[in-house]
Amino acid sequence: MARIELCNITKKFKKVTALDNINIDVKDKEFFVLFGPAGAGKTTILKTIAGIEFPDEGHVKIDGKIVNLVEPAKRNVSMVFENYALYPHISVFDNIASPMRSPLYKKDEETVKKEVYRVASMMKIDHLMERLPSQLSNGQRQRVALGRCLVREPNVFLMDEPIAHLDAKMRHFMRSELKEMQSSFNTTTIYVTHDYMEAMSLGDRIAIINEGKIEQIGSSDEVYYTPANEFVAKLLGEPEINIFPAELEMDGRGLKVRMLGQENLIDICDDVAKVLNKKGSGKLDVGIRGNDVKFSFEKIDDNYLKGTVYIVEPIGNKTVLTVSINKQLIRIIAPNDFRAEMDSSIYIKFNMDNAMFFNGEDKTFIIRHNQDHYLRR
Amino acid sequence: MAKLTLKNVFKRYDNSGKKKVKNDYAVKELSFECVDGEFVGILGPSGCGKTTTLRMIAGLEDITGGDICIGESRVNDLPPKDRHIGLAFEDYALYPPLTVYDNIAFNLRAKNVSESEIQKEISRIAPLLKVDDILEYKPVALSGGQKQRVNIARAIVRKPKLLLLDEPLSHLDGKMRQVLRTEIKRLHKEIKCTTIIVTHDQLEAMSLADRIVIMKDGQLQQFGTPLEVYDDPVNEFVAGFIGEPPMNIMTVKISKQEGEFFFDFANSDVRISVPKRYYPVVKEGMSVRLGVRPTDVLIGDENSKGSKVKVAVFENLGEERRVSIRVGDEYLNLTTAEEIRYKAGDTIKLEVNAEKTHLFDINTGDRIRVK
Amino acid sequence: MNTKKLSLLTEIGRNAILALWAIFALFPLFWMVLITFKHDAEMYTTTFIFTPTLENYKAVLINTNYFKAFFDNIIVSGGAVLVSVLVGVPAAYALARYNFKKKEDLAFQILSFKFAPEILVILPLFMIYQKIRLFDTHIGLIWVYQLITMPLLIWVVRGYFEDINVEIEHAAQLDGYSWYHVFLKILLPLIKPGLVAAALLSFIFAWNSFTFPLLLSAFKVETVTVSVLKYLASDTVHYGQMAVAASVSALPEVILALIIQKHLVRGLSFGAVKG
Repeated sequence: MARIELCNITKKFKKVTALDNINIDVKDKEFFVLFGPAGAGKTTILKTIAGIEFPDEGHVKIDGKIVNLVEPAKRNVSMVFENYALYPHISVFDNIASPMRSPLYKKDEETVKKEVYRVASMMKIDHLMERLPSQLSNGQRQRVALGRCLVREPNVFLMDEPIAHLDAKMRHFMRSELKEMQSSFNTTTIYVTHDYMEAMSLGDRIAIINEGKIEQIGSSDEVYYTPANEFVAKLLGEPEINIFPAELEMDGRGLKVRMLGQENLIDICDDVAKVLNKKGSGKLDVGIRGNDVKFSFEKIDDNYLKGTVYIVEPIGNKTVLTVSINKQLIRIIAPNDFRAEMDSSIYIKFNMDNAMFFNGEDKTFIIRHNQDHYLRR
Repeated sequence: MAKLTLKNVFKRYDNSGKKKVKNDYAVKELSFECVDGEFVGILGPSGCGKTTTLRMIAGLEDITGGDICIGESRVNDLPPKDRHIGLAFEDYALYPPLTVYDNIAFNLRAKNVSESEIQKEISRIAPLLKVDDILEYKPVALSGGQKQRVNIARAIVRKPKLLLLDEPLSHLDGKMRQVLRTEIKRLHKEIKCTTIIVTHDQLEAMSLADRIVIMKDGQLQQFGTPLEVYDDPVNEFVAGFIGEPPMNIMTVKISKQEGEFFFDFANSDVRISVPKRYYPVVKEGMSVRLGVRPTDVLIGDENSKGSKVKVAVFENLGEERRVSIRVGDEYLNLTTAEEIRYKAGDTIKLEVNAEKTHLFDINTGDRIRVK
Repeated sequence: MNTKKLSLLTEIGRNAILALWAIFALFPLFWMVLITFKHDAEMYTTTFIFTPTLENYKAVLINTNYFKAFFDNIIVSGGAVLVSVLVGVPAAYALARYNFKKKEDLAFQILSFKFAPEILVILPLFMIYQKIRLFDTHIGLIWVYQLITMPLLIWVVRGYFEDINVEIEHAAQLDGYSWYHVFLKILLPLIKPGLVAAALLSFIFAWNSFTFPLLLSAFKVETVTVSVLKYLASDTVHYGQMAVAASVSALPEVILALIIQKHLVRGLSFGAVKG
């Protein structure tokens, strides 16, 4: 139970900058998620906190004390490694018992037994205690690794993609299970993942990491509804958000946008128009998620844009329809029985109430309709 | 371009001398027919015989019994080179010392096609697969996605009657996989060649194929369009294998109260009313496996007859929201695109979408249908 | 069933070839054991019929200081392996885990000791040993034997360390173990098969070494390989006694190899962490 702070952490591997001036303040008992694509530096941050990697600059603080020079063993952190890192030569019981038998955190065998069985029943692996790690399935190994992590009461749990290697069914199940267990952890947790659903589901707050830099820190609602920039917006959501350039134009009745090189101008909401007006000229990008696009085979009104069906991909509970307009591909979520011929004509309409506007130059977020409403939740 | 027919195909490996294997047949009684120009996916978990089937079609593996026909002719005894098949392996199998151009040209040269003809063919194929600007590169310089494109180009340059793809996307990372998946589907529309793709990823099969062959333990489970296998699975295996998030499939006991039937979930006090259409096939005290997709579990209103249940987990996942209910060791999940908000511990009533509920026999796993 | 017959035939053929090879390989050993029971007079007959005698055994084991040579050999070979394990295992760990300048060059340098013909370095070594008084000592031989035992041990054990995921070490450190504990409790059990196999092979190579003990020792320390020479007298060769000396000196190797046969095959062919 502790507050974890990273102050101005910079780390280089040879000439490559792995971490670039990272500042994170994780509150006591918070579930904090580090989210980003492969190679972003998430694991390096975790290992810096654990003391396995050393920062070139900056401080790591646990409960306000600088621990840069404290050995990993003495930082009192426990970690789940991506490939589980179980000890191959000893049984599941001994693996889980290992932290409580070490010279530093020694407990008497009675307590060890009691504690090991407590987490084992929580992880539902109590029937596997005598097995070796090589005799377990991946799902079971991952539970053992989690068990070994949870058996102690450390300052912080560090979890590195603990469920990434499981099959889809197991991953959904474990995600729910972790979330249900969360309240009983009662300890600060830092969780690394590249799966946006895990990040959104589990995190009290999420830090989005890209190329060793923090792009945004916020609650799942904040990062999903008001992403700091286009990179964050693209990372959250499946299918990926549609982002394309647009131009602002004035007509008699106010500010409008021209999108995808079309003739017709599209209305925008007043609160958005006000902000965009202030910003003045300059390039503008519009971001619209796949479920905020309507489609029809006939032109219903002037807000519908004409395109052609590029591809139709049924994926079970829904169909992803990709429409090509002026060489720009727009992904749309359609009902699961939707079918259309490739290259046939189709009309689409963007729900501008849910559109996000980005600066076309530096790709940062500007505004969306009803922004305060999303931030207040 | 031709149709492909498999009639009662068996494959048995000779196991004499080795220890007894549980399952004698790698492929058993497999029959299906792809029409000319169709895109068919062969889908199943590892070890289900899907790759063996592909290899038998290609002629890389002997057939123990049954017939394989390409077009109208039986090809059982033809060597691979005479079957007019294009095959793209999962691990690319490009020739490292040759450039992309020479890799694609390799098979044409083996058939003594003239250089000018080769040039013409490659300039036709290359833009389709977006490899026209990397023709002079060697395979080491290419990314995984580019290698797979070259690999497919090499398979289709021979103008095959049949194109076979063996897990073509399995070595690519998430984003590249999605891009190439789209391109393979577009390519199929361009060349209109009968195509078979073997995959273990249901999403890949669903999004690419016109029809899907689902296999398990060497046997055909179901052959149908993506919508058919999703909405109308023949057994519990197909129901559980297709769809993400996966279908809720749980053991329930039928109980009767005041003339109405209920599903009582095993090891829990969760209860949902049985849709009326199942009344002819259910009996009090009967145990069945109930399958219902997360999108078809609904939150009932005050009048619904089911028991009140506690929300174990609520997740807001952006596009959709998910509620999980504890049922014994498992979760019953529901997902919805609606803007609902709950927290753990809230109570709700559950209902199921009557039309989209499936019952499976508790012993055989076969679907229990209502006449 | 044609295929069944065919597979039976190939099975028979395969075993026949293996049996033939075994006879070919084992015959010299068999012949050696045979002549230990022969009189000098019968030595050159190639028939298998003779009057067995234990004279040779008596002459070698009782009347000479053969056992002193035997124990000397155990001391120097065992000592050499012990030193190699104590020094080589940490060295192998360093080569596997740490990155430092010229690491691969250093590793290759160690391996190359094994390539150099012993006779090439023996003269300078002889002079140096005379000067620093290591000539004809146990320590001197143990030291020079490192050229034989160390490279093998380092290279095999290094491979084992590289197979162990470094995260296992990290996990153990976070569990609260010091590096010393991690090494003893986690790493050592994992490299055991490789370590045992490499140590055994090193022991055999050291045991059989001839050039070094011949030239770098004299009377105080004498190994069996050298002592066997004694039976080559100026006028006659006591083949029977030589065979006894050789046979007895082969015994420790045979016994050791049989005891850890399982480790030997596994240790040299598989990695440390499977599954």
